[in-house]
Amino acid sequence: MTDIRRILLMALALMFAFTAAPRAQDIRQQLSSSSVIEEIKKRGVLRVGLSTFVPWSMRDTKGELIGFEIDVANKVAADMGVKTEFVPTAWDGIIPALLAGKFDVIISGMSITPQRNLTVNFTIPYAHSGQQMTANKKLAGNFKSLDEFNDPKVTITCRRGTSTCVAAQKVFPKVTLRQFDDEAQCLQEVLNGNAFAVITSAPKPKMWTLDNPDVLFMPTEENLTKSDEAFAVRKGDPDAINFFDNWILFNTSNGWLAERHDYWFKGNAWKEQVAKQ
Amino acid sequence: MPTAAPPASRSTLRFSWIDVLVLAAVAGFAAIVAYRINDVLNYHWRWSRIAVYLVRWDADRGVWVANLLLRGFFTTLRLAIWGIVWAAALGLVMGIFRTSRSLAPRFAAFLYVGLVRNTPPLVFIFIFYFFISSQLVPLLELESLVAKASPTTLAAIDFLCGDPKLFVNFLTGLMCLALFEGAYVTEIVRAGIQSIERGQWEAGGALGLSRGQLLRLILLPQAFRRILPPLAGQFISLIKTSSIVSLISIQELTFSASEVAVTTGAVFEVWLTVAAMYLAICYACSVAFARLERRFSSAGGN
Repeated sequence: MTDIRRILLMALALMFAFTAAPRAQDIRQQLSSSSVIEEIKKRGVLRVGLSTFVPWSMRDTKGELIGFEIDVANKVAADMGVKTEFVPTAWDGIIPALLAGKFDVIISGMSITPQRNLTVNFTIPYAHSGQQMTANKKLAGNFKSLDEFNDPKVTITCRRGTSTCVAAQKVFPKVTLRQFDDEAQCLQEVLNGNAFAVITSAPKPKMWTLDNPDVLFMPTEENLTKSDEAFAVRKGDPDAINFFDNWILFNTSNGWLAERHDYWFKGNAWKEQVAKQ
Repeated sequence: MPTAAPPASRSTLRFSWIDVLVLAAVAGFAAIVAYRINDVLNYHWRWSRIAVYLVRWDADRGVWVANLLLRGFFTTLRLAIWGIVWAAALGLVMGIFRTSRSLAPRFAAFLYVGLVRNTPPLVFIFIFYFFISSQLVPLLELESLVAKASPTTLAAIDFLCGDPKLFVNFLTGLMCLALFEGAYVTEIVRAGIQSIERGQWEAGGALGLSRGQLLRLILLPQAFRRILPPLAGQFISLIKTSSIVSLISIQELTFSASEVAVTTGAVFEVWLTVAAMYLAICYACSVAFARLERRFSSAGGN
């Protein structure tokens, strides 16, 4: 009796094993063949969505894209043995454009936030930056501490839809925020004396302060907040995440990312390429 | 049929003292604005920074080449020209549908106008871009077609639509623009056709003309003359609306300008230049239409 039962059970188990095993394999194959990584290899082109953000990505005097992101994306593509195609995108629509398949990955200094993570998947961070603030001397020059900025009468500008605005609200909850579509406008408002200060990711506030020493000053040299920037890809693609994660890990360990980051963020060697006075 | 006398003859420009006063007031206001900009606005004018983004010297080839801003200008110009062509074609067909006697075409045109005209341009463009074009464009397999195209085809695309690499991008923007503006043109065409007196329809019918002949030979030529002025206005509005396709990353004038503004920090220089460029295109468009209007009113025998 027990023997018969055991044989029956084994037969049943074998049946399941035979029917279930190929199914699992099918799914695995399907999953990896539908990965964006396979698509990129087949197409021979890595399409990267990015938005202009000094010095992450910007236009040199030849009208070509240059910047930290450009170096990163080109190296990713080179390591995959494909070409790069950059898709300059308005920041407001960059996540919908990724979801609509206009490009394969966002490499655009996007910092990881839980809200964004609900709609896209992030890799591990490839850059760590923070937010800095530069302020108008006439308006805020006599402020004794950072606390004085935390006042409804004080207006601070930031780029709409960025984590900077969230950070600004957190550091100065009472402040009046004015949001603009691009950073040039944010800065101009402060230069014109219409806003007290502008918050954005380092090192721009520092660069602006050096450019306009008569008007601007930095209330603090410290970063107000810290953030981690990562690639963003569409959800449901474990192979893509694995590939990009390990690409970042590999290039973090060998120091390549840090070297490029320092070149664009700490050095001035590239300034000549952007605008001659 | 006599036309009303034009309010001002083109050849006689007489200045009265009121004109002088108005001109002086305008000049004075401009001077105050210029002074205020220099004085109040804390701004270093750096026109030299953006000059290089208009044209640059290509040292390798030894020629001057258009840079970002000028390339954006040409993209906007191409968008404008193609947009006008497609919006006019779409508007003509839909406008005729609107006056059709059978229900199906009339309803289709009604639906089209109703859906498009009652949505803000920005919302329409976002919906179109993210839902419709992302389904439609891959179906057409344009990307692979462009990739396989011969050098002559590529040169043709380059001339007609700009950089072949951005062809699909350009086409998406163009479809958005043409569909959006086509709805307004539809209504203009419909109003034009319906404004033709009943007697003309009946006379055509009495001559035994089919509906197609009636439209082609009698109604449309007359309607065309009447709708030229509102059509000109609509096309100028199309040129200006083309700036919002920058939001779906079509690399036309406004998009390039915002990239240059962010990169150089020369915000006012960039936007003033861009405003002048739009002014040039729109003004050229209105001049062209004014000529067309004059030709038709003199040759039309009205």
